[in-house]
This record gives sequence, C-alpha cells and structure tokens, in this order.
Amino acid sequence: MSDVIPTLKRDYIYNLMVKGKRLDGRGFEDFRDIKLETNVIAKAEGSAKVTLGKTQVLVGVKLQTGTPFSDSRDEGVIITNLELNPIASPSFEPGPPREEAIEMARVVDRGIRESGAIDIKKLCITEGESVWIAFIDIHVLNDEGNIIDASCLAGIGALMTTMVPNEMAGIGEDAPLEMKEMPVGVTIAKIGEKLMVDPGRYEEAVCETKLTVVSSSDGSVNGMQKIGSASLTEDELLEAIELARKKAEEIREEFLVGLERKD
Amino acid sequence: MSGKPEKLITDDGLRLDGRRMDEIRPMKIEIGVLSRADGSCYLEWGRNKILVGVYGPREAHPRRMQRPDSAVIRYRYNMAAFSVEDRARPGHSRRSIEISKVSRDAFEPVIMSELYPKAAIDIFVEVLQADAGTRTAAINASAVALADAGIPMRGLVTSCAFGKVDGQVVLDLSKDEDNYGEADFPVAMTQDGEITLVQMDGHLTQDEIKRGLELVKKGCSQIFALQQAVLRTKFEFPEAEEADELEEGEAVEAAEAEISEVAAKYAGATEVEEAAEAGEVISEAEEEAEEEAEEEAEEEAEEEAEEEAEEEAEEEAEEEAEEEAEEEAEEEAEEEAEEEAEDELEDEDEELEAEEEAEEEELEDEDKELEAEEEAEEEAEEEELEDELEDEEELEAEEEAEEEEDEIPAEEPEEDSEKEAEEEEKSEGPWKVVKDPLDPEAGNGGENDE
Repeated sequence: MSDVIPTLKRDYIYNLMVKGKRLDGRGFEDFRDIKLETNVIAKAEGSAKVTLGKTQVLVGVKLQTGTPFSDSRDEGVIITNLELNPIASPSFEPGPPREEAIEMARVVDRGIRESGAIDIKKLCITEGESVWIAFIDIHVLNDEGNIIDASCLAGIGALMTTMVPNEMAGIGEDAPLEMKEMPVGVTIAKIGEKLMVDPGRYEEAVCETKLTVVSSSDGSVNGMQKIGSASLTEDELLEAIELARKKAEEIREEFLVGLERKD
Repeated sequence: MSGKPEKLITDDGLRLDGRRMDEIRPMKIEIGVLSRADGSCYLEWGRNKILVGVYGPREAHPRRMQRPDSAVIRYRYNMAAFSVEDRARPGHSRRSIEISKVSRDAFEPVIMSELYPKAAIDIFVEVLQADAGTRTAAINASAVALADAGIPMRGLVTSCAFGKVDGQVVLDLSKDEDNYGEADFPVAMTQDGEITLVQMDGHLTQDEIKRGLELVKKGCSQIFALQQAVLRTKFEFPEAEEADELEEGEAVEAAEAEISEVAAKYAGATEVEEAAEAGEVISEAEEEAEEEAEEEAEEEAEEEAEEEAEEEAEEEAEEEAEEEAEEEAEEEAEEEAEEEAEDELEDEDEELEAEEEAEEEELEDEDKELEAEEEAEEEAEEEELEDELEDEEELEAEEEAEEEEDEIPAEEPEEDSEKEAEEEEKSEGPWKVVKDPLDPEAGNGGENDE
C-alpha cells in the first residue's frame, strides 16, 4: 500500500520521531485537520466525504430491498465494501480488492455492526420476506495515510444522514435512518517505542505496526485490529486503546453529535 | 445450528461444556504428519481439526514476489467445504483473506526472514473441521509446523482468544459462546509477551480488556508448554540419566493433561461411551499408571510444586489412565473419520472443478465475491441482490452509471481469471497437502486436481 521510501528518508523520519517530533510538526496525539461533509451525492441515500489532512475518502450508502438471511429473518443486512481506487495512489491498481482493502472494509464493518450503530431490526420490512439491505461503499480518492479512520468517520457520517427510501419501496414516506450509536475508529501507529495517532503516508510506511480501535460513546471498544507486521507489548496495547478512546470521544463530539441530514 | 441457549453460564458458575471461566478446551498436537511438507502439524482443539503444512524456505514464485533483502512469508488459511455446518464455498472468501493476512502479520515478527533473501516461506493451513477459534488454533499449529520445518524463529507464537458471555470475561470461546456471546478477542503472543495479533469485535470496557488479557496470558502459557513438549518429542534426545523420565510422549501427555483437566467432564456423551468400551484399556492403563505414579509425581514436581505432586499422584494416575484410554478410543474414531473425510474430499474436488468452470462463465459471480460476507448463506442472498441490481441498472437511464457498470465487469473477468489461474497454481500445494499425508489411500483426489 505504501510507496517505496528511500532508506535515507526512512532514517530521517524515524530519527525525527524518536526525538519526539513528527514530520509535519504535529504532536503525537494530534490528528490532522478533519473535514466532514455530508449529502455530497444526491443519488445516494446517504453520503459523506471526509478529508483527513490530504487524505480523501467518499462514502455512499445505498438502500435496497431484499430477502433476509434464514437465520436472521427479522434483521436487515449491512454490506461494507472498500475500494482502493487507482486514482488515489500510484501504488493502487484496478482489479478485485486486495487484502488490505478487504481487511479495512471488514474492520469498518465490524465497528458499525458491533457497536449497534444501526438497529438492524428496524431495517426489517416484512419478517422473513423483505428487509432493507444497506450497502456502505467506501471510495478512497486520495491516499495520504490513515484511510481507515477517514473511512470509519465517513461511513458513520453517511449513515447518520441516510434517508430510507420507503416511497420507492411503496411502504410509506421516506424517513431518516434511525441511528443508535456513533462508533469512531482511531488508528495508533507504533514507531520505535512511541505511539502516535493518525499516521500519515510516510509514517505508515515507517511504523512498526498499527492498531485500529473502534469505540463508541459509552467508552466501550467495539472493534479492534492490529494491522502491520511488528508486535506490541501488553502495556502498549492498553495505552493505545486508552488513547484511541480519548481521541474518538473528541472526534465524536466535534463532528458527529448533532449531525443531521439537511436537504 | 441449534438456537440460542438460555444461559451460556450455568447457575453453578460453569460454562455449558463444563469449563470454568479460565479454562481452555482440550488440545492435542501432532508433529510431522505430512511427508512432502518440510514441516507439518495436526492440531485438535475442542472440536477444531487443523492441518498445517510448511514449505520452504524455497525459491519464491512468481519472481515479482521476491524480496531482495528477506524471504516473503505467505500464509494461506483455507477452510474445507465440509468443515462447517452449512457447506462453505471452496476457495478464498473475504474472511479467509483477512485471517490469512493477520495471521501472517502474527508470524512476521518471529520468523527470521532476513536470512533467506528471495525465498518464500509458505504456511498452508487447512481447516478440516471448524468449531470456533480456528484462527487461533491454526496459529498454534503453524508455529509447531514452522519449527518442524526448521525455520529459524525468535520464538514460538501462541494464540488464544478471550471473550465475554453473559457479562463474564471467559477464555477460549466455544461455538455457542462465539455465536451468542458479547465479544470475541483473539490474541497471539510470543512467550515473552509480545503481542503479534490483536483482533476484536463486540462490546468490551477497558477493564474487561485488561482482565481478558490476563486470562489469555494464562491460556497461552499452557498452550506454549504443550507446543514445547511436542517439539521435544521430535527434537530433543534425552540425556542418559533422564532417559527413563523422558519416555516418548510423556511430557506431551503431562502438558495435555494440564490443559484438559476437565476433559472427562467436557467430553460429550459419545466420548464417554467410547471410553467405557475401551474399558480393558483403562484397566491396563491403570496398572501401568500405578507403577508410573511415582515417576509421574517427580515430573510434575519439576513443573509445579514438589509437595503437591505426591498428593496428586494417585488422582493423576487415574486421570492419566482415563485419558490414555480416551485417546486410544479417539484415535480409532479419528481414523474412521479421516477415511470418510478423504472420500468426501475426492467428491469435493470434482465438484470444485465443475464449480470453477461455472464460475468463469458467470461473471456476475465475481462481483458477488467482492461483497460476499462470511456466511455461505449470505452469498446466496447476494445472488438475488445481484439480480435486482441488474434489473435496476436496466431501468436507470443514466448513461454514466451504465457505462461504469459495463466497464467494471468487462475489466474484471480478465483480472479475475488471471488471479484465479494464479491461485490455482498456488492451491496445488495445499491440495496435495491435504491428501498426501494422512494415508496413502487418500492420494487420488490430488491427482484429479492436477
């Protein structure tokens, strides 16, 4: 996913960070500037674009009717897909999703699903026959690092502004999708012995490993994944979770609380 | 699957399978079970049956995968179609791709890949029977298989999950606990406590995570002891003095015994019956065990406390005896089961080929795979969805949208067929792996595939 970084640059970044500095002057617990726009795609039932530094991610939510699974006859279905479009980075290629894309999509999906953000029972139209299927399609437009946090935020932003197209299905008037929780994903990178939030593209390439933690407003953790090839100590893991929960709360307060669909 | 049980933890504070909160399911490990692989391991954990073959270091193919400064590690987690209740669609699913990736990440820190530039180290995992916790079981087996292959490692990797059921933090989730519990948190770590895999879904507080990690450390240390004991049976030549004590398999049994304290309780009714049938073995074993009781006690003393050992000696003798009997009975049953499984495998292969052909024709199926979720059922749903999607596309007069949609399928078949071809190449290995090993009769299926 990351581009090849010449060894010299790698050393420079690494040494800088070991000294307690980051490439762009941020503190270890600082996110880059975040911008969340919603209702950016009129054709989608819900949509959001997140700009995280220069990383850009666009999420569209489409709702369609379908039949439920036989083991959950009264529940709607959530399907999350993430595409690393070749437009977003010289190292992305067209074609079926690679393992990184699948992994990220599944982590975002688990965060939304396990936090209970969507009441899937409410997505049931007729038990055993007809339910809403929510497609959450994540388009990565520009990769400057930490796609996964941008995807989580854009995903939940899009869902919070989604209208259920009841009229189209002939079952009454369109209504906002009911949301019960606002999970936020925060990725912590480990470089040397240090932990830092929201790794940029170069930091991702240099870091030993990353940990993505999705947490919700009651402070509970709903999803987690170590992404990357090095190990973490138990203390680092617990510290990272603590830090991620704190940052998630800040992001939730600033961007999601009170977010409504404005037509 | 039966429905949700009313309680996952009974009133007497035990779990449905009789385990306490901090107990793992009984585990059994065999090393060197495949003749063609450089290293191999067969592992049973509860009702999970996992087979791992390691190949390498060997030349990395295709060449573009080679790394100039280290070996490339490849981990392929593959579920047999018959390993789960509802038949799993053969081949890579999004789930198995993700598991393969995180498992590979779990081994990167310990494998000394820098010693083998341009080489590949392939770890092929076949899940023959799945019953919650397959990824952790597969990692435990892979660590043993890697060591069996003589791959230089900084340490073993040991893996175990904790979770939350009925509000309680518990170690090593069973199938029901996984399905109906509130959280699942698989972890892999080295013996130094370096955590190399973290995944989690569900609902946990910081405090519960802390408590869970304590449980996991306990579980992992037990599994680590078993892994070590198994490796010793193959690699450690006993010193002359210790020869008596280190009779083959004894250490393994000791480690297994520690894990499966509750094996008797846990074992289902069938196994109890089997044990009863094997009554003769029990009495024989009991005699033996009595003789061995003192020796056993000494050994235990090394691992635990000396005083305890003598007191426990009698109890243990009995436990040992039962266990041995059970094991033999199990082995018999296993052999039968394996034979059956092999027969199935042959059929599966034929089906697989037919399916693959069909797949190539059905381009829509590929789209489906992109979105497919874990459950095989979901795939069926997807099919319907796709149909609907198509219908809608036709209705929508938007040229842009249609162009895009048209382009994508036109492009993907090529990509996919390429990828499929690649994957077929790759999959030759693992298919052989499944057949070659267990017994010579099993070989036919592999030839079909080739």
